[in-house]
Amino acid sequence: MNQILRLSLILLPVMIIVFFGKVLLFDGEKQASNFDAKSFPVFQLNDLNGNLVQADALKGIKLLNVWASWCITCLVEHPFLTNLSENDIDIIGLNYKNKDTKAIAWLKKHGNPYELSIYDPRGDLAFELGVTGAPESFLIIDNQVVAHIQGELNQLKWDSIFLPIINAEKQRQ
Amino acid sequence: MIGEIAHFLSLSASALLCMVLIFNLFFAFAEEHANQLILSLKLFNQACWLIFISFGMYVYLAIIDDFSIAYIANHSNSQLPIFYKVTSIWSAHEGSMFLWIVFLTLWSIFFINFLKKDHPLKKLTLLILSLIILGFLLFLLLTSNPFERILPFGALEGADINPVLQDPALAIHPPMLYLGYVGFVVAFSFITAFLLHGNFQLQWEQDIRKWSFVAWIFLTVGITLGSWWAYYELGWGGYWFWDPVENVALMPWLAATAFMHSLFASSKSNILKTWTMFLGILIFALSLFGAFIVRSGIIDSVHSFANDPERGLYLLSFSGLITLLALGIFAYRLPQLNSSKLVVTGSKESFLSMNNILMMTAIFSIFLGVTYPLIIESMSGEKVSIGPPYYNTIFSPLILITSFFIMISVEALWQRSLPIRAVAYSVLPTIFFASISVYIIWIYTQIFSMLAYVGIFSGLLIFYSYFFRTINNFFKKRYINKGSAIAHMGLGLLFFSVSMNSILSYEKNINLFSGQSERINESIQEFMFKDIKVYPASNHEVISAEVFILQDQKKIFLNPQKRQYMTRGQITSETAIHATPLKDTYLTIGDQLENGSWTFSLKINYFVKWIWLSSALMVLGISIAMFKKKLT
Repeated sequence: MNQILRLSLILLPVMIIVFFGKVLLFDGEKQASNFDAKSFPVFQLNDLNGNLVQADALKGIKLLNVWASWCITCLVEHPFLTNLSENDIDIIGLNYKNKDTKAIAWLKKHGNPYELSIYDPRGDLAFELGVTGAPESFLIIDNQVVAHIQGELNQLKWDSIFLPIINAEKQRQ
Repeated sequence: MIGEIAHFLSLSASALLCMVLIFNLFFAFAEEHANQLILSLKLFNQACWLIFISFGMYVYLAIIDDFSIAYIANHSNSQLPIFYKVTSIWSAHEGSMFLWIVFLTLWSIFFINFLKKDHPLKKLTLLILSLIILGFLLFLLLTSNPFERILPFGALEGADINPVLQDPALAIHPPMLYLGYVGFVVAFSFITAFLLHGNFQLQWEQDIRKWSFVAWIFLTVGITLGSWWAYYELGWGGYWFWDPVENVALMPWLAATAFMHSLFASSKSNILKTWTMFLGILIFALSLFGAFIVRSGIIDSVHSFANDPERGLYLLSFSGLITLLALGIFAYRLPQLNSSKLVVTGSKESFLSMNNILMMTAIFSIFLGVTYPLIIESMSGEKVSIGPPYYNTIFSPLILITSFFIMISVEALWQRSLPIRAVAYSVLPTIFFASISVYIIWIYTQIFSMLAYVGIFSGLLIFYSYFFRTINNFFKKRYINKGSAIAHMGLGLLFFSVSMNSILSYEKNINLFSGQSERINESIQEFMFKDIKVYPASNHEVISAEVFILQDQKKIFLNPQKRQYMTRGQITSETAIHATPLKDTYLTIGDQLENGSWTFSLKINYFVKWIWLSSALMVLGISIAMFKKKLT
């Protein structure tokens, strides 16, 4: 009896630790790779210049980047986005909960890597997309959201998450 | 520059702690030398001071708005009052972990330096404390560095603190809770040192008693403040939600409560001594489990911080390591600790053992409630949620059994069987009065709920037995254990008020145009929505409603608000509360419907104040017990 008690004092915590380790190591990955492609929400919004965004804006391979002039991390990832746009990646901005004048001034000051920026002052479209804050980036292929990262987009995340999907898509074509 | 210095000081602290460990391992098998302890202690103290100074500098950086530090830029703002600039440090993972470590260090440095110079357990305790602090300091610096800079150029303005955290309660709720959680490191390290040392003639209970009591007080106050904050400031409409993170705070609390009871009898009985040691290890292990659950992002909850598997893995392996070390030594020493001497049935020790078993059952039930959804999801991929019904059904019989044992145990004596006559004298009137009270409540409210009445009955059993005993002893001029009586009456009151709250409180959803009024029920004869205003404030926009309520012939004006914060776009709800001793009128404003009318949620909550009162009584009781010289 005493032996069993002593053994279980060790085995029970070990089992708990192994279980949580398994959840952390393997169950998380399953979720990430199973990111279901879903259609881009239907929306009717202007871009920052006041023109209605056309439905074909999200055809092809596009990177949708959620940004705002008040967002510091957006400034951090800005050079990287500029670099991407110089390398022929189409980036659509989603200007999130921002004043248009401030947003335009920001683009003037720091440069504009975006093909166009959807103006979403109340965050309606962002809400539909499940955005929790700026910056966030979505990879969109023919109106389908295929991948999503939260926070700063950098070379590491680009290479590990977005680039493989883009390469696969290009090969398929 | 200051940031780098602070960072460097923290790194140096971990280096010093490393030295303490290596140095002692090196001499572990060599002959004992007096200078060895002196040197270790000096290194340890210096490491602690470096951590304090580093944290002090970090606070300074937050005050002077150094937004080149990523964490400060993401959680503070130059417009904030200095008070919130400081509290913003513990509003997210990195900073709060830093604070957690500072408190860990604080408890450790105080305890080790208060311990007698030549205490045989001093060296081992010091080593264990160094290992624990080092482990968490490395966790902070390697996986969640609060000193990280935004390079190449820093931010001009901070992203602002989450508005729901702009509250005085944030300033005290997490620090109190952390002080409670990590305070049990004292008991943990001392007990582990005792087990390692292997001289079981040593008395260790007295040395950790006060420390554990203080930690218990902090933990209780921390949990109560969290509950108070959710109710009054966050407008959640309730005080307890069986949220996974609330549960992981409750588990160490239950273990700590059992531990303190057990500690009283520990020096008197070997079986309880074993229990006490096990519980002492368990409390800190559960605190670490709590830190893991909150910081690994394994469970979605209002309290959890951002998800990062690397952090989770580190925390899991390090917490697992220390817990397994302690439990392993405990299991190894168990045969030497156990004695064949049995506990006398009906003695105080037997009731304390029963108390431990019941508390362990409660802890296990909560643990199951927290982990069960994870187990199911991991095995089958299905999502299940475990909510209040599970906890209510599990806890109400447990509480009833507990209260019966408490009631009988009131007259129990050390090492002697309980005299039957004394039991009859105290138990019968208690059951009688509790039953009468329940009957009166039932007649008066006309509401029946089995679970709630079990709670009310149990609460009254506990309350009356201590109440009668105190009065009886007072007239017979016998000794009254004031601390214990007050704390237990607080517990009884807690069961009572929580149950009363659950049967009496009700909620009404009201939908009105401005200017309209409505009759709700006999108590609230008129609910009039007078006006609604929208206006901008400093960093948010306010929607403010004016409501007039005629309740129990009294006129009440309430003005619930909704705020939309500009920087984060977050919407918070400012509840309007009219509180009387017995009930709170709790009004929140909802959404505007398409036809232009507004929705309100009106809650009448009973006995909420009594819940805080009972918690205050428990804290008061334990404070009194703490200052008693002798164990009784």
